[in-house]
Amino acid sequence: MSRWRRSVDGLAARRRQQDECERAQEALSRVTSCFQQLAASLGSSADGSFLRDEMDETRGLAHRISTGLSRRLVRLLSDGDSGTSGVEDRKVSERLWVLFLSALESFLYDLRKAYDLIGQFPLRHRYDRRSLVNTGCIDGVVGVAARVASVQAPWLTLEEEPSPDLTNHITGLEIMLSEMQLRVPVPFWSVEATQPAWAEACGELEEPDDTLEDLMEVEVVSNDTSSRMVACCQPACCGLGFVG
Amino acid sequence: MTIRNTLRDHGQRYRPRMACLKKAEKVLLEMQDPKTGVKSQPQRLVITTIPHAITGEDIIAWLADKFHIDAQEARSFGSMLVALGYIYPLQDHKRLVIKPDASLYRFQTPYFWPTQQWPVEDTDYAIYLAKRNIRKKGILELHEQEHYNRLHKWMNHKWDFIVMQAKEQYRAAKERKKPDRVVFDCQERAYWVVHRPPPGTVSAMDYGLDRLVDPHADEATTPDYYERIMIFTQQSIMRPRVKSSVSIGALVKYCATYHNHDPFLSKCLPSNPWLTDDVTYWTLNMPYVEIPTKMRVERWTFSFAELLSDPRGRDDFRLFLKKEFSGENLAFWEGCEDLKWGEAATMREKAENIYKTFLARGAPRWINIDGKTMEITVKGLKHPHRYVLDAAQTHIYMLMKKDSYGRYQKSPVFKDTVKKAICPDEHRFTDAQLEQNARKRRPSVSPIILRQMEREQRAKMAANVDITQLCRFTTPVPHLAVYSGISDFPTANTSPSLPFLAHTPCPSPISVALDSTSASERRAEAADGDAKGNLAARTPAAGNVSKSRMALSLRRLLKRGCTPTTMFASLSPKCHSAAGTSSRIQPISPDQPSQAPPRRIGNFFQIKVDIPPECRIYPIESEDEEEENRAASRGGVGTKEIICPWESLTPHNGTG
Repeated sequence: MSRWRRSVDGLAARRRQQDECERAQEALSRVTSCFQQLAASLGSSADGSFLRDEMDETRGLAHRISTGLSRRLVRLLSDGDSGTSGVEDRKVSERLWVLFLSALESFLYDLRKAYDLIGQFPLRHRYDRRSLVNTGCIDGVVGVAARVASVQAPWLTLEEEPSPDLTNHITGLEIMLSEMQLRVPVPFWSVEATQPAWAEACGELEEPDDTLEDLMEVEVVSNDTSSRMVACCQPACCGLGFVG
Repeated sequence: MTIRNTLRDHGQRYRPRMACLKKAEKVLLEMQDPKTGVKSQPQRLVITTIPHAITGEDIIAWLADKFHIDAQEARSFGSMLVALGYIYPLQDHKRLVIKPDASLYRFQTPYFWPTQQWPVEDTDYAIYLAKRNIRKKGILELHEQEHYNRLHKWMNHKWDFIVMQAKEQYRAAKERKKPDRVVFDCQERAYWVVHRPPPGTVSAMDYGLDRLVDPHADEATTPDYYERIMIFTQQSIMRPRVKSSVSIGALVKYCATYHNHDPFLSKCLPSNPWLTDDVTYWTLNMPYVEIPTKMRVERWTFSFAELLSDPRGRDDFRLFLKKEFSGENLAFWEGCEDLKWGEAATMREKAENIYKTFLARGAPRWINIDGKTMEITVKGLKHPHRYVLDAAQTHIYMLMKKDSYGRYQKSPVFKDTVKKAICPDEHRFTDAQLEQNARKRRPSVSPIILRQMEREQRAKMAANVDITQLCRFTTPVPHLAVYSGISDFPTANTSPSLPFLAHTPCPSPISVALDSTSASERRAEAADGDAKGNLAARTPAAGNVSKSRMALSLRRLLKRGCTPTTMFASLSPKCHSAAGTSSRIQPISPDQPSQAPPRRIGNFFQIKVDIPPECRIYPIESEDEEEENRAASRGGVGTKEIICPWESLTPHNGTG
């Protein structure tokens, strides 16, 4: 095969891999944000075995995605070194690398917190439930769990690995982070954001959402010295909420 | 006994000790007990009802009951729990206090509890701001916008991740049921109010830098650990002891003296910047301000250490000493401080300089210390180190404290300062004004700039000091009468063919002072006197005609004045007796006229004196003039000149 042909093939292969990694990155983001929602209920009145099981499953999924992604990224970036990759290509790969590492660090932070909280609120016995904090959350993680289940990653069905328990997961991630940083030297600061500041504010939402202030609308008591109106409420909502 | 080290305490007090967090957690868990805990009620909102809301008065009542304390203290305790972030208010979420009425609060979920083991990450804050941005379509509060822009700049490399994560978290949160969603949003918002407080909010977790070591972590019991315990115990045994009555008396006296000056215990005029965000107090109390405040001036009367440690007070004291012509004591003390706290590289030079300026025999600013201290100091100077001048410094300090300090407080300088001191009125801000102040908060002058200004000021002072002192001696006759008593100057009777005055790198006040005199007058005066012929001949040769004329006039004045020679070895009337003795003068004596030139190199200080009444005052010598002096004085009197070390440019000045 001519060299030109080889380089074009190489280029195409790399592009495919990069796309795969992008999608995996999005999936990882989804899983970690769901994990955070679950972890926020640890130790509260909504805590329970269901929650913890869901957390374990989410964690396992995240583990699978992250190991696969790390392997592919390392391959991509160490290949790119020797191969005939353009500067643009390399930049894309580096960007993916930086994003992945940031996601891993953020996830590790959540994992450590979860580990401490589970240690603090063990829930082994019945009376442990008495010390759970009454935060006002009732139960509501079913939707989140469903969201986790819907996550697709390119290699999830292919590679089946047993998910580690929490401690091992944390140590495993730490090792993975340090190894990755040692193996491939990527200058973090050379990566730039693809979108400008405040861009996400202008994006359209799926459906118009209520702000927290609207949601926190309180009923107005009619006879009124102690009106408990929240500050910035629009007249329309007021009308709805008014209790005579 | 006095309380020391109130300012320069490099001790452990500044590090935050958040051991209260573990204790607060225990209290909080006890509040949860369904039977003995705080009563909760549902919060009715428009869209739904959320359980587990508690009222402020219930919390306070529970705390008062549990710990057997009164309502006021329970209220403070409750406010502390809110300020730490364990309980958050549902209304008025930016004010982290407990209101003793029916306003509602809720417990924070343990995931968002404050702790020092998981430091608050800027990444998370960036994600939170991006989420809020999405939700509120770009309408963030001012401080949030500032944070956002800053984080966008510094976290640009992970910004894509931040936005992606924000979107995902936003969508994940929407999966929850509405009441839970509201609760989670409240929790998250409360968390960030505590850890990134908006201006005007006082949060207990906003404490600055973390300790290096976690106070809750168990320490490993290695041999090193026991070694440290042993050293600590041994030092405790060796510490000097004071009777408790004495130390308690000192504490009581200190508290009583400083009570009105403490911004926690009394009012702070015009207003405490930490409370009202108005920085007038700081601008009025800058280190080198022109007109100090009345409180500040009052503090100077508390102790000598207070006076010296305040830069403005020290300036005032320096002014007073200048009027009394005993400024060398303070200058010496300051030189010693500089040596103690300065850089190690320049230490040797500094020690030498100080010795030559203040301690050596015949030094220009000789200080009066007793023989024993002088002996110790000189011996120590052979191998100088930071504290070599400590004994002398202490002696001078006590001298100033016992003698000058008292006179200072009765002096017109001080009385003038007291009269001019200002006492600002108290600010009375309305709530709206307070908010405006909070919005207008800006960082102050950078410490780098402050340090530069300080250095410039010090350099200016060092440059000015001796010349201005000289000025008093060289102005016309009446002042000179002060020194007329010194008459036992060894005779040096040969012709005073020393040419002319110093040509200073910086404008000499002498030249400034005498500039106005007309040239012709001087020349006429110069005509008489045999020695003047020399000078007249010389003047065309000199580059600087006017200065030489000044020299002549100076000589005339001094001649007219009286006999004495001004000994610049001492600028203080106190040293009259010392000044007379020729032993203080450097080895050059008029008896050995020809010694002048070579001696000059050997000795740093040479006091150049003419035969009386021709006395020359040469604050500065330049190279050229020394050549000429040498030439002139070949047959003439022994020359003695004082070269101020920090201004002389001559090569023989070792420290240059």
